Amino acid sequence: MPSKHFCGSPDHAVSRRAFLGSTAALAAAAAADMTGLDVLSSPALAGELKKGRKRVILLWLAGGASQLETWDPKPGAITGGPFRAIKTDVPGFQISELMPQMAKRMKTTCVIRGLNTRNGDHGSGAKLMMRGRRDEANLRYPDLGAVVAREMGRADSKVPDYVTFYTQTEGRSMAPGDAGFLGARFGPMELTTNNTPEFIRKLDTITDLDHRERADLRDLLGKQFAKGRQSDTMNSQNEAYERVRGIMASEKLFDVTQESQKVRDRYGPTQFAQQCLIARRLVEAGVPFVRVARAWWDSHGQNFETHQEMVPELDHVMATLIDDLGERGLLDDVMILTLAEFGRTPAINASLGRDHFASAWSMTMSGGGAKGGAVYGKTDPKGNTVVAEEVDAGSLFATIYSSLGINPNKNYYVGSRPIPLVNPGVEAIAALAK
Amino acid sequence: MKSPSPDTLKQVKDFSRPATVFAIAPVPGTERAFLGCQDFKVYEAEFSAAKFEPKELYAHESYVTGVAVAGKVVVSGGYDGKLTWWDTVAGKVVRTVDAHAKWIRKVISSPDGKLVASIADDMVCKLWDPTSGKLIRELRGHKEKTPQNFGSMLYAVAFSADGKFLATGDKVGHVVVWDVESGQQLATCEVAVMYTWDPVQRMHSIGGVRSVAFSPDGKQLAVGGTGKIGNIDHLEAKGRIEVFDWRAGKQTAEFPGDKHQGIVNRLAWAPDGSWLVGAGGAGEGFLIFLDGTTKKPVRQEKLPMHVHDFALSADCSTITSVGHNRIQIHKLG
Repeated sequence: MPSKHFCGSPDHAVSRRAFLGSTAALAAAAAADMTGLDVLSSPALAGELKKGRKRVILLWLAGGASQLETWDPKPGAITGGPFRAIKTDVPGFQISELMPQMAKRMKTTCVIRGLNTRNGDHGSGAKLMMRGRRDEANLRYPDLGAVVAREMGRADSKVPDYVTFYTQTEGRSMAPGDAGFLGARFGPMELTTNNTPEFIRKLDTITDLDHRERADLRDLLGKQFAKGRQSDTMNSQNEAYERVRGIMASEKLFDVTQESQKVRDRYGPTQFAQQCLIARRLVEAGVPFVRVARAWWDSHGQNFETHQEMVPELDHVMATLIDDLGERGLLDDVMILTLAEFGRTPAINASLGRDHFASAWSMTMSGGGAKGGAVYGKTDPKGNTVVAEEVDAGSLFATIYSSLGINPNKNYYVGSRPIPLVNPGVEAIAALAK
Repeated sequence: MKSPSPDTLKQVKDFSRPATVFAIAPVPGTERAFLGCQDFKVYEAEFSAAKFEPKELYAHESYVTGVAVAGKVVVSGGYDGKLTWWDTVAGKVVRTVDAHAKWIRKVISSPDGKLVASIADDMVCKLWDPTSGKLIRELRGHKEKTPQNFGSMLYAVAFSADGKFLATGDKVGHVVVWDVESGQQLATCEVAVMYTWDPVQRMHSIGGVRSVAFSPDGKQLAVGGTGKIGNIDHLEAKGRIEVFDWRAGKQTAEFPGDKHQGIVNRLAWAPDGSWLVGAGGAGEGFLIFLDGTTKKPVRQEKLPMHVHDFALSADCSTITSVGHNRIQIHKLG
């Protein structure tokens, strides 16, 4: 059943599914014999192939990691904390000494230091930074994962389009994956209790034939029910069911024991490390969007102890992920993001903690079309305000979409109402275009 | 000589500071002290001056978290991993050493001033000759990783009154007592309750052994920190003190805290053993006096600032507490 959502572009006058299906076939043919098919002679097809390869791993630093102990250190300032800044492989650019491994890999990574997102509340801040804008009263926007799933997912894919790990309980309910008006078809597969999806296996009590026949029956009944009815929700549910057997077959992707011990050791023994290894397995298999949430950075007390513990883990795992993707030839196609609901106050409270702060914080984009080595935005010497190249949530999302090859101004439709991916007037940061 | 009673405690001076003071080292027999501060600097302070204006001496490259006076020398250490020697007579830095691979947490001197001990998150305690600057001994008995495979931290160190023993305490609640002369481990004590690892909600940790102090006879070891914490975003548990028969590795008393929230950063015994005082805090601070025999609280005083360190004068007449943007002096007796 064709999707009700179309981008409205004349280039996409054919249904997206048909187009992607043919794209996949052409891509396969191109891979088999590049000399026999001048793929790149068609700009539309080349663009579709380019974006079709892009995938995203979002490292969601839930609770709000401190920009001063990661990407925007202020050594020597009274707000700067105890950790020093160290040189990176990008001349003139320094990050916290807690990140020595990433310091050697900043040429792969774009840092935005001038985020001013104006929302220091965990719940609404998380929604904002998952969607790039606030929901309307009667309209729930899809989050980044759902949009990437919608744009990069393939109808014939055997793997899920959007997977999210959020194993810790703190903040989980405040930052759920949400497909908004795109519906369940693009909603996340959520893993919250362990690293493999629950209830993915066929029940032992039914045979494979039974399972197929039940699916056929559900499909038959669904089609009869759908006759004469039009509903995005119904269509989305049906499409989700159509993919059940493929997703059931993807269980092994979540099994890190499929990797050699050497690879597992390289990532490290922590849960976050293992989930990032699974994320790599998933994007390698074609999953367009994986979020690995690492909670909980909300260090109102003992901020420096918390970051001394957690930042080295982030540093190691992120660097390993970048290396691993690079060695597999995937880094140009897979974007790694670090993002949270907000950063932390420059002011240090009496408990040596830092509190919520959304006025001048940082995020990163590595690989996948991001402009590696770029540093955008500048904060004042104490880190209290953005003094140059300020970025809000909308323009950040426009930049992410643009870097992935997705036109941020394209429209989805809810009924007849066109809904652009970012609010009208919001633009990607031109300086970060590659 | 009988130590003055905690009942006589009264605040006599209160100074605001532009930055947090992490460490204080008094000059015996004077009202002077050296301060290690958040602004990376070491100051000399004269508390009897009409106008309190600590004099800036020199700077580290990060927070100064330990200061020790040993004879005519001051040795300071900080998160830059360096130890700096200051000659108090010549008034100049005489030596800076890359002492530790990670962040230095405390620097103390032995009671006779012939040794200086530094501890850091490389989990090593190092003993130094304060005069020559020579490294005398390294004491290694704390694991670099927590059970959850994160980096551990070495927070606490103290000499016994006779200088023969030294105790160190780390993040996961492991305490080691060392023979200073030989460098051998004599005993260990475990205070696991002071380390909270949250495996479900927040997946990180808080707490640790933050202070240790030998009783005057050297037989008991007091250990300070905080209790198990539910929400590790905050220091929400009460300040906690436990006392050990350290040779047996056996806890003999515990004060789980009853009034004041936070962590016990500094401990000291009255010279006659009649009481034990702990100081620390969270958003605010406290001084908690426990009876030396029963280990029951005999006086608890709320302070306006999180206390990171204090200096107790030899005659126990003065406690100078330093912490978050403030210094307070209390008199006893």
